[in-house]
Parts: sequence; structure tokens; C-alpha cells
Amino acid sequence: MTLHRIVRDAAKTHGDRLAVAADDGTLTYRELDARADAVARSLRALGVSRGDRVVLWADKSAAMITAMQAVLRLGAAYVPADGSAPEHRVAVLARDCAAKAVLTTRDRTGPLRASLGTGVSVAELATSPDGAQEAADARIDEPAAPDDLAYILYTSGSTGAPKGVCISHRNALAFVGWAVDELAAGPDDRFSNHAPLNFDLSVLDLYGAFAVGASVHLVAAELAYAPAQLAEFLHSEQITIWYSVPSALTLMIREGGLLDRPAPRRLRAVLFAGEPFPVTHVRALAGWTRARLLNLYGPTETNVCTFHEVRPTDLERDRPVPIGVACSGDQVWARRADGGVCGPGEEGELVADGPTVMRGYWGREPQRGPYPTGDVVRVLDDGRFDYVGRRDHMVKVRGHRVELGDVEAALLAHPAVTEAVVVVVGSGIEARLVAVVVPAHGHDLGPLELRRHCAARLPRYLVADEFRTRSHLPRTRNGKADRAALAGDLAVTPAP
Amino acid sequence: MTDATTGTDTVTQTITDFIRQRCLDGDPKGELKPDTPLLAWGVLNSLNTVLLLNHIHDELGVTVPPSRINARDLKNVRAIASAVRAVAAETGS
Repeated sequence: MTLHRIVRDAAKTHGDRLAVAADDGTLTYRELDARADAVARSLRALGVSRGDRVVLWADKSAAMITAMQAVLRLGAAYVPADGSAPEHRVAVLARDCAAKAVLTTRDRTGPLRASLGTGVSVAELATSPDGAQEAADARIDEPAAPDDLAYILYTSGSTGAPKGVCISHRNALAFVGWAVDELAAGPDDRFSNHAPLNFDLSVLDLYGAFAVGASVHLVAAELAYAPAQLAEFLHSEQITIWYSVPSALTLMIREGGLLDRPAPRRLRAVLFAGEPFPVTHVRALAGWTRARLLNLYGPTETNVCTFHEVRPTDLERDRPVPIGVACSGDQVWARRADGGVCGPGEEGELVADGPTVMRGYWGREPQRGPYPTGDVVRVLDDGRFDYVGRRDHMVKVRGHRVELGDVEAALLAHPAVTEAVVVVVGSGIEARLVAVVVPAHGHDLGPLELRRHCAARLPRYLVADEFRTRSHLPRTRNGKADRAALAGDLAVTPAP
Repeated sequence: MTDATTGTDTVTQTITDFIRQRCLDGDPKGELKPDTPLLAWGVLNSLNTVLLLNHIHDELGVTVPPSRINARDLKNVRAIASAVRAVAAETGS
């Protein structure tokens, strides 16, 4: 079984049912199936074949979903890049994974072609491909092995170079199969898709729906954090299974009036992942809806490897709900500093092993054996895990993984910057990425110039929320920039 | 809605002031221009766009509908101002 068969199979049994609803239109399974074949034919004409990579760069849309399926049908792997990502970053990804082709919107094909040069085909992401009607007698169904690459998700890397997490068909299907079973999903379900397509939360939304002939409803990128619109979306799209980062739910509760209306009757599961969800909001949700509340956990490298269904006793605690126990066929444990396995009451690094663990990072040694997540957990008396924190300089801002070094490397690439430190100020929904920069002598740098510079190099979520300039940085006794002092200082000093 | 002495209209000024104060640390170097690409450079994001629209509602009495929350109408200060004026004209506010 491979990932692309999911839509093919759904088209046979659920051809007339709704598959995708987005701003650019809706697709039934039959339409999605036929259009994916049509796009696959045009990709094949560009020379894409089994084992290749294809970068898809656009805002989420039915056309993007179609293109993802088209790439898989050729036995190739797709590499999603968010529509808001700058051209420079997309070119870096395309070169890094040696992409055969990039599909993007018409206005971007020319400039990207110029910067990538020959060797990579740049073509328009077709909104309504011609010849979809011929699809039935021109099926494209290249074989793929379970361990072949299905997609690459690029994440923030500590040295400034993005890391491509390589996910095989087996990896993805292990998670999707678990999710569908756990949710007892069926053709009448309506999944929300809040996360961008380059974020692994979207894998559940898309393939969870496709696996059972259900529909997936895409939240437009511009509305992803518009509180009232999100709350309305839940009602108007009659969502039955919602999945997002906690930040989105917090906004809907605090500013979108989510709890002011009765919960939608059909809503039966609310899933969240990516960062700790303040328990007060979980309590509020539990009092508002009878839907199941599920906390999912896992870095992109393992997808979801633990989960926890919220129980009444969890709401009595004063800390976020546990991340729970292993799922997706994985084994997970907490590892002590001496390498031993933690018992109840102990803290250690969470390690995952099993079918969802990635093949490795693109261009590096394959991942062998268990994957250490870098997350510290505490083992509870019943064997469940509580999330404690990170081991390193990786932070989460609105659910996105941010390697501070990645952002600092971009700032230091500016000719007038001599020193740059990026810190996180605030927590939860209030968390802000603040860049503090020391300009080179004789240079006058404003926040907008720094922002312009970063926005041309980094995906949107890595561009700092605030830019400050200083004549010098506070130092620790060993001479390093004192991040803690800086963060504390920025937390109490309002913007000038 | 035009201030004849400065040549800058109230709508543009309200939007500019808000973005300077809330998104650009007061814009100490005066870098913000009517055509500064706000979305492409991430000056406006989905979080502070909501705050800006609330501010426009409070200060100018114009409610920008969700259909106007898009890349074209939020592109820069000039585009936002023209969208606000268009909405105001449609609704007669």
C-alpha cells in the first residue's frame, strides 16, 4: 500500500462525494482523481519520473492538493513550500533536494526560473488542467515501494540551513492508519485543515479524510489567525474533526466568541498538537462541547508518536494535559542521562522508534534506530508522559519550530549587522520572536530594513515579530551574549 | 477625508500611525512608505492584521468584510486605504 492509492481507491467507492473544499473551488473524489492524472501527465512531460522530487510553492488550494496527488502518482515525492515563503528560500529548497521541477503560480514562474537556471523545470500550477476528461483511459499509477520517499517537509535548522525531513509511504501510512482507527473516521466526517501544507499537522487532515472518503475543508492562509472567521468556519463548514495548534483554538476562544454559541452539533473531535495548550482553555472547551479532546505529540521527524485523550481528572491539574502514550505503532520511552529508561517520577529525553520514524534528513546519513526528540518529558505514575521542555535552542512560536540560530544566521548575512541575537519573549499565544541587532559602526539600521532583509530569506514564521537595534549586547561571564538577560529586559521594556 | 494642509488623508494617516506604533517600534527611521510591501515583508501577519482591522473599525467606523482580507487589499498602506474607502462608500458610512 502506498499513499497515492488512498485517493485512487476513494474515487472508486466514493466518486461523487466531496473530497476537498477550498477557496478556489470544491472537488469530488472523481474530479480529484481525474485532475491528478492530468497534472501527472503534464509533470511527466516535464521529465518527472519515479524517485524525483517536485517542489510545490503556493498558498493552499484545491490545485495544490491535486498537484500533491499528481506527484505521488509518478512515484515521485512532493516538497511543499508555503505560499508566503520568499523566492530565495524556495530556490534553496529546490537546490537542496535537487528537485526535478517546481510548480508555482503564474506570476512567480518567471523570476524563479531566472534564479534556478536550467536543470530545474519551473511550471505553472494548473488551476483547471486541460484534458481531465481523458484521464479515465490514461491512468498514471507508477509503482512505489513502501520505503520510497512520499514527501519532504523542510524545518528550521540550527545553522541556518533548512533540514528536509524525508517521509516514506510507510511512515505516513502508519500514522494515517492509526488516526483513522482512533477517530473511527467515516465518509460522513468533515475534517478541517488549519495547518499550512508544509506543516505535518496537515497530513492527518488530508489523508485522514481521503482514507475514508470524507471531506477536508481548507482554512485560507489569510484567515488562519482571524478569530471570528475561524469560529464561523467551524459552524459553516459543519466540521466534525478539528485539528490545529492550540494558538488557533486560544484565539477562537478569547477573541472569536467560540464559546458564546453552542458547540456545533456534529463536532465530535477536537485535536491539538505542536505546543502545550494552557489547561484553562482545555477546561473551557470540555465545558462547551461533548466532542472528544485529544492532545497529539510528535516532532516532524516522527509525526505523531504519542497521544492523550483528555479525561476529567486531567482538568483538575494545574498544568497542560499529558502528551500520553505511544501510538501509530511506535514505541516511545524517556531516556535518562546514563542511557537507562526512566521510571515513574523521573525526567528524561523522549525517544521514539517504529514505523513513523523518518528515513532521515535529505542529503545526510539515513536515520538508523530510535529517534531522540530533544524533548524532555516526565514519566507519570500510570506510565503516561508529561511534556517538560526542550533540551536546546529550539523554541516553538505559534506551533512552529524555530531554531534561533536559523534566524540569527539570516540577520548576520546583512552587511551592516555585526551581532544578532534572537530571543522569545512571552509564552503561549503571546510569544514573540524578538531580534536584537548591533549595527556595524557608522551604519544606521531601521527595523523595516532588517525585516525586508529577513523576509527575502526566511519563511514567514521565521521572520522576527520585532526588530530592535542596540549599541551592544549584555554578556555572560564567559563572554557569550546573555540571552536570558536580554529576554528578561525585553519582557519588561515596551517598544520605544 | 483629506487634510489639505498635509496632503494626507485621515484613512491613510490612521493606518500608517497604527502600523508604525504597533508593528514597527514607532518606525524610528521613518522607513514606512505608502508602497512598502506589508505582507511580503511580514510587517502585517494574521495576528496583527486582526488588530489593525479592529482599529480601523474603532477609529473610522468601517468594518472591513472577510472578502477584503486578502493579499491584494492588504498589500501596502495605499491598498488598505483604498479598500477602506471602497467599503465606506459601499456601506455609506
